[in-house]
Amino acid sequence: EKNESTTSKDSTTEGASKRQEGTAGTPKQKLLDIIGNMKVEVSYRKKLQELKASESKKQAMNRLEGPGSEGPQGTTEDIQREKPLNPELVKAASAVASSFPLNKKQTESELLAQLRRHEETTDKQRKGGTVNIRNVISEMTVKRQSPAQRGVRISNRISLEFDEDGQRIRPERFSSQSFDSRRSLKVGKRLNIFTKASTEPEHALKTVSSPTIWDLEFAKEIAAITAQPPRNGFEEMIQWTKDGILWEFPIDNEVGMDDGAEFHEHIFLEKHLKGFPKEGPIRHFMELVICGLSKNPYLSVKQKIEHIEWFEKYFEEKKEYLQEI
Amino acid sequence: LHFLRQAVPWACPGQVRSYYVDWRMLRDVKRRRLAFEYADERLRINAIRKNTILPKELQEVADKEIAALPRDSCPSRIHNRCVLTSRPRGLRRRWRLSRIVFRHFADHAQMSGVQRAMW
Repeated sequence: EKNESTTSKDSTTEGASKRQEGTAGTPKQKLLDIIGNMKVEVSYRKKLQELKASESKKQAMNRLEGPGSEGPQGTTEDIQREKPLNPELVKAASAVASSFPLNKKQTESELLAQLRRHEETTDKQRKGGTVNIRNVISEMTVKRQSPAQRGVRISNRISLEFDEDGQRIRPERFSSQSFDSRRSLKVGKRLNIFTKASTEPEHALKTVSSPTIWDLEFAKEIAAITAQPPRNGFEEMIQWTKDGILWEFPIDNEVGMDDGAEFHEHIFLEKHLKGFPKEGPIRHFMELVICGLSKNPYLSVKQKIEHIEWFEKYFEEKKEYLQEI
Repeated sequence: LHFLRQAVPWACPGQVRSYYVDWRMLRDVKRRRLAFEYADERLRINAIRKNTILPKELQEVADKEIAALPRDSCPSRIHNRCVLTSRPRGLRRRWRLSRIVFRHFADHAQMSGVQRAMW
């Protein structure tokens, strides 16, 4: 029955989309028939009737004005009251989507998504609404810092202590200020609206204005002013570690030496000997050089390759001289 | 930014020296720097020279090349001097100090782990 009705509705609605107002009655009536034939709960009949009336008005308006986005929403309100996502519902959704000339797949997916959402809402409503409250309460977080906040606010109004006494007070204040603003600063997903835009002008500015002397002087001044003298031995040692005077503990024996190169790159260096003649004293000499380099743990792979390349250049320059001999 | 120069010695105990002690110390510093720059080349040219495999003509050419390098690039021209007084003799290598300066600091207990010997 329903397949036939949907197919007939398809044909009629396709025809209706091409024609104008006068044929609005037949597809609308067909839709209403379909919805009326579908499984309906007892409690929702009145709502359905109201929605049907509103939907009919909406559809009439849509057909008069033209295809619009309000239509699918009106139809979904009718279809949403069903508990299971019947295949019939899916077919009805596809039929409704096909009835509108624009974005058939989109409307169909929207309809199905709305169907699923409304299914969940109906389930919750049937359980009595406790689920919703529980969800709401779980989402809410208890503000336990209110007495501390009050104290901090009062202290904010009364005194303004700077960093001289202790730098701990300020970061606390900043966190409390963020709480004062009702968790609006740090809570929520990052929309990343400004991050991309902020990076682009930075790059543009850097390429243009990097070498100005005034900028360098200004940067030096700021660095000099912000670099306060160390208050104790620990800060002095921190400063020394940053400068490179003091090593980092626990001492790592391979601080500047770890290339990330494997042992075979250090030892098997014959592939770098391609520029040399295959026989003769030079080859003999270079093989000895490579033997020595492979046993050298203090040089990096790059340095070893540079060593060999230097010899290559040197012998090439002296080639003409050698050939004379 | 002239005020910075005065602000520098705030955390540094003892003397702050911004110049080399004398011209000989400066020359020694220049020699050390040049020796570092030309160290690789000298090593490689010497490797060609001190060889029994390569032909002698090549080695003679290498001799001339190494002689053509700046004279101060030779490491044997470096002479250890006291870091504080530029004294060329009486040095303790481990501390880079002359014996007089070393004794001065050790007696004032400013050398870590150094004690007057008594046995």
